[in-house]
Amino acid sequence: MLSVKGLRANVGDKEILRGLDLEVGPGEVHAIMGPNGSGKSTFAHVLSGREGYEVTGGAATFEGQNLLELEPEERAHLGLFLAFQYPVELAGVNNTYFLKAALNSIRKARGEEELDAVSFLRLIKEKLKILHLDDSLLKRAVNAGFSGGEKKRNEIFQMALLEPKLAILDETDSGLDIDALRVVAGGVNALRSPERSVIVVTHYQRLLDYIQPDYVHVLAKGQIIRSGGKELALELEEKGYGWIETEGRAA
Amino acid sequence: MTTGLPTGFEGWVAEAARAASGRGLEWLEARRRTALEQARAQGMPTSKDEHWRYTSLTGLREQAFALPTEPLTALQRDDIEEALIDGLDSHRVVLVNGRFIPELSPLEALPKGVRIAGLAQLLESEPDLLQGHLNAVAGDDLPLFAALNTASLDDGVVVIVDGGAVLERPIELVHLSVGLDEPRVAQPRNLVVMQAGARATLIERYLSLGDSLYCTNCVTEVSLGRDAHLAHERIQDESPSAFHIAGLYLRQDTGSNYVGINVGLGARWARTDLCVRFSGEHADCDLQGLYLAGDGQLMDYHLDVAHELPNCRSQENFKGILHGKGRAVFDGLVFVAEDAQKTDAAMSNRNLMLSESAELDTKPQLEINADDVKCSHGTTVGRIEPEMLFYLRSRGISAPIARRMLCLGFAGEIIDKLSTEALRDYVTEQVGQRLESAPLS
Repeated sequence: MLSVKGLRANVGDKEILRGLDLEVGPGEVHAIMGPNGSGKSTFAHVLSGREGYEVTGGAATFEGQNLLELEPEERAHLGLFLAFQYPVELAGVNNTYFLKAALNSIRKARGEEELDAVSFLRLIKEKLKILHLDDSLLKRAVNAGFSGGEKKRNEIFQMALLEPKLAILDETDSGLDIDALRVVAGGVNALRSPERSVIVVTHYQRLLDYIQPDYVHVLAKGQIIRSGGKELALELEEKGYGWIETEGRAA
Repeated sequence: MTTGLPTGFEGWVAEAARAASGRGLEWLEARRRTALEQARAQGMPTSKDEHWRYTSLTGLREQAFALPTEPLTALQRDDIEEALIDGLDSHRVVLVNGRFIPELSPLEALPKGVRIAGLAQLLESEPDLLQGHLNAVAGDDLPLFAALNTASLDDGVVVIVDGGAVLERPIELVHLSVGLDEPRVAQPRNLVVMQAGARATLIERYLSLGDSLYCTNCVTEVSLGRDAHLAHERIQDESPSAFHIAGLYLRQDTGSNYVGINVGLGARWARTDLCVRFSGEHADCDLQGLYLAGDGQLMDYHLDVAHELPNCRSQENFKGILHGKGRAVFDGLVFVAEDAQKTDAAMSNRNLMLSESAELDTKPQLEINADDVKCSHGTTVGRIEPEMLFYLRSRGISAPIARRMLCLGFAGEIIDKLSTEALRDYVTEQVGQRLESAPLS
């Protein structure tokens, strides 16, 4: 589904990704862990097409298409979704209006019929329940004045609505208390299916107690230096990143 | 005849002089003559004039305008269909090229105590009713264009709401311009008198059938009696070739409340002067504005709010979106006299620039002479945040639609204050359409 080979990317003059390789198959959940500054968020952003990064080498394909030459909205149309670490507040942009525009843009790009107001509202009510979200959120501006937890839940809510093929969760656990974490993880788990893949980018093992990954990768200095099963996350939690970085260098 | 005015204005002045015969009303003739003398004495402003520093009159002065003619009575209801707003349930008054058209203004079912009529009609039938009101708010010290309007004062709309009367449905003044073979000037005069405790919503629209070149030079005088309440929503959507000059003169008595929403969308060159005076304490004046300026357009707003008395509140909140080679000017002055203690005034002008070639001059000013007041002013000029744009695009929304959503989000603060849903939808639609076709650089 997603194939990343030798990906290199700069921010300004600084090289952040230095030959990153990753293969994600349908239905798989991959966790990417790593210390601050290892390039986790950069990787998530480069995949979703954010400006400000210069790809200097390597390739990234999604279902055989070259991701790197697509606009962010085209990537979304293919089925890519990024849950932001810091969801942006959009003053004055109504949440319902936004969600409907997003869903219908994607449906249209896929040659599906756009949803009318009634079917859309029915769908939205259904998705709200999964995330224990209050429908007052629909009347507000996108993320404006939302608490940290509400913002993250709104991200997962969007994901539930847009039903991507590949969701990338960028530090979705940061700033969440344990209850919010459970709700967010529950939302992600509810979406797991044999066709849908997830990349969970996180600093801590905690989230992985709730979203069980099939694979865990350790990212350090812009490269994946170790891959394993979910037990690798526990090992990291116990020994810290220093252990693996030292070992990685030695290897 | 030396007028001190350039050729293009000869037509206006000549018309003003002709109109000075004033329907045989001595007081009206006197007011017109005084205004004409004022206009002649002032001559054309230059860029040295502080009020015209950022706004060039060159385009207007080079354009010759013909004299207004007789009313266009041949227009039928079907002809103006495209100028109406879907779902807007109002007491509608239609003026065409500055002339009140009774056939298109079915003023039935007006509540008791509400009088709406054509100005020229009333000058014929009940001049005494008008003598005390006409020019009472605007005063005798008129700037050039208001003076020219007054010098040929003849037609327009009169709204008088008696003490305590309440209008549920809005009054809608549709100022329609219809292209004729040569460019013309329309100079309607609107008079709105809200007696003590009266309440109403007044929608004032300026628009055209077609995209012809013409000039509107309108003056609206509003007086609010004690505890009167007026929501005044003005939508300027003139033809893209038109010139639009508007003067609003507002006087508020004790405890009165005015909410004015000024939306500027059309015209190639639009100048609006809003002038507010208080004649009693504890009055509240809220001036909101939204303007859009694109290629070949200038939007110019001048605010002159004077707090001469204590305990009044005023708010001035204007937002602009500039795209292409659009230009805008915001020049706001809030004056607080020495005795006007406990004045509460907040002025803000925020702008969103969508292109590098757009141009803005903004000058919010406070002149405070009292020591116990709460006054603030602020101005911002920003661009669309790339972060916001990326967020929307990452959800599958194309860049142009994302940009339009963000602009409408910015404009929404003002649009949401319009009192009827039909008008909110209409303005949202108009703003959206213009942004859709806006070039990005």
